[in-house]
Amino acid sequence: MTRDETAADSFFTRHQFLIYRLFSLAGLLPVGAFLVVHLLTNSSILGGAESFQDRVDTIHGLGPLLVPVEIAFIFLPILFHAVVGFVIIAGGMPNVGSYPYAGNIRYTLQRASGMIAFAFIVWHLVHLHWLGAPFRGTALPGFDPHHASSTLAVAMASLGMNLLYAIGMLAAVYHFANGLWSLGITWGVWTSPAAMRRANWLSVGVGAVLALAGLGSLVGIRRIDVDSARALEERRGEARRMLEGGVPATPAAVSADVGT
Amino acid sequence: MIAPAHSSDPSSSGSGEEQRAIRVRILRQDAPGQESYWERHVVPYEPNMNVISVLQRIAAGARAADGRPVAPVAWDCNCLEEVCGSCTMLINGATRMACSALVDRLLEDGEEIELRPMSKFPVVRDLVVDRRRLFRGLEKVKAWVPVDDSYDHGAGPRISPEEQEDAYPLSTCMSCGCCLEACPQYVKIEPVRRDGEAPEAFAERRQGAFDRGFVGAHAISQAMLFNSHPTGKMIADERLETLTAPGGIQMCGNAQNCVAVCPKGIPLTRSIARAGRSATLWAIKRLFDR
Repeated sequence: MTRDETAADSFFTRHQFLIYRLFSLAGLLPVGAFLVVHLLTNSSILGGAESFQDRVDTIHGLGPLLVPVEIAFIFLPILFHAVVGFVIIAGGMPNVGSYPYAGNIRYTLQRASGMIAFAFIVWHLVHLHWLGAPFRGTALPGFDPHHASSTLAVAMASLGMNLLYAIGMLAAVYHFANGLWSLGITWGVWTSPAAMRRANWLSVGVGAVLALAGLGSLVGIRRIDVDSARALEERRGEARRMLEGGVPATPAAVSADVGT
Repeated sequence: MIAPAHSSDPSSSGSGEEQRAIRVRILRQDAPGQESYWERHVVPYEPNMNVISVLQRIAAGARAADGRPVAPVAWDCNCLEEVCGSCTMLINGATRMACSALVDRLLEDGEEIELRPMSKFPVVRDLVVDRRRLFRGLEKVKAWVPVDDSYDHGAGPRISPEEQEDAYPLSTCMSCGCCLEACPQYVKIEPVRRDGEAPEAFAERRQGAFDRGFVGAHAISQAMLFNSHPTGKMIADERLETLTAPGGIQMCGNAQNCVAVCPKGIPLTRSIARAGRSATLWAIKRLFDR
């Protein structure tokens, strides 16, 4: 009887330990690491359209490798983390009403923030990413990596959009920072209550830096003047096309191109 | 002031002085699988009562607050000094031992005391639950020192005072189940015997269901206690095998309610984190030594 039912155990149940540990690892590497890079890159827009375009160009310098890298190190790990995460959420019974302890509140928020962050990421892709372009239609302008600041400033013009991004970003940051603390217990990095308290400060620090970077990016986008950013991006675009096309950067060629 | 139920009960009839009454609301259930229902009881106040003495008065009266005769409320208890772990119940919504729940303190929270059976175990009757799964968890992780054979092994190895201090708190676990009751990851499993199913087949199916569920903080902590014991650690790998099986350590969600509600103050989250570390090292070892 038991043997039959054990044999019938799903792949997921039989490899539960491995899958949960890979889930935990994926939250840090590559998903968490990507979040850190993403938010810090975005915050460069505080330095103006030029510094942001520099960072975006660096990333898009990967060229044809960018899409495979995105799929292998960002989309698939996030999808795996989300699917296992929803299974974990479905298997738990939050009881913060009966036991309103700090740890229990964090446990509940971890689940809530995970779901909010996932919904936000789906929206974020539809809103700005090339993956979402087919779903976007003409109402949403999207993000053009060659006109990074100006297209972003247009897409993020409304206050409601800023609020939505602030909520989604803060949910993701909380989920990562608290997840970092939780991961350290899961893998046995910090084991004593005192070590867990110290690790908690590490999480708070990481969370605070990322939250400031994320909110700073929103402020930075609001400070972008669309027209002057577009002019700057056009100038850089010219230079890039010349480099790619092998056209000698003579003053005549530049002025002729600008004139058209 | 006193409910009519007690006017006929000589043991609780008061003297001339004014008497307070304690109002108690109990979630009752007549048998496994049946509907539960709330019932109110009133008992006269006495100084220094605990929830067990309130339940003794209720059983002696065997009448609801409205005077209706009812079957005595059933509950579990034994030592009455918070070491046997048998009287766990939900008192005013939180898991704790009935013997150490003092009525004077409870009345500071409100006029009425609410008693419910533990919600993570099948109810046998009223406040009595079937904690078989809790003990199955201890069995699964082999929470003992393996010395059951006919050979004389001589004196055991010495244990340093530091190791003793580390291990002693873990050894005070009384299997009360508070950690499991408060754990959001420990979800009730109550298999029901099917029509025509043999008792042995049902017991086996139930055990399979228990074994796939989360093993719980108590068992993880006991596994760490015996894995730190010089003789107990001889089967450390077997315990880690269980802790990394389905329902093992990976099910922990780090809510840390277990350590917050443990009546013995056992550092359960330290045990869980140590088990996590052992499991990490063990899994790596298995990966490369296999």
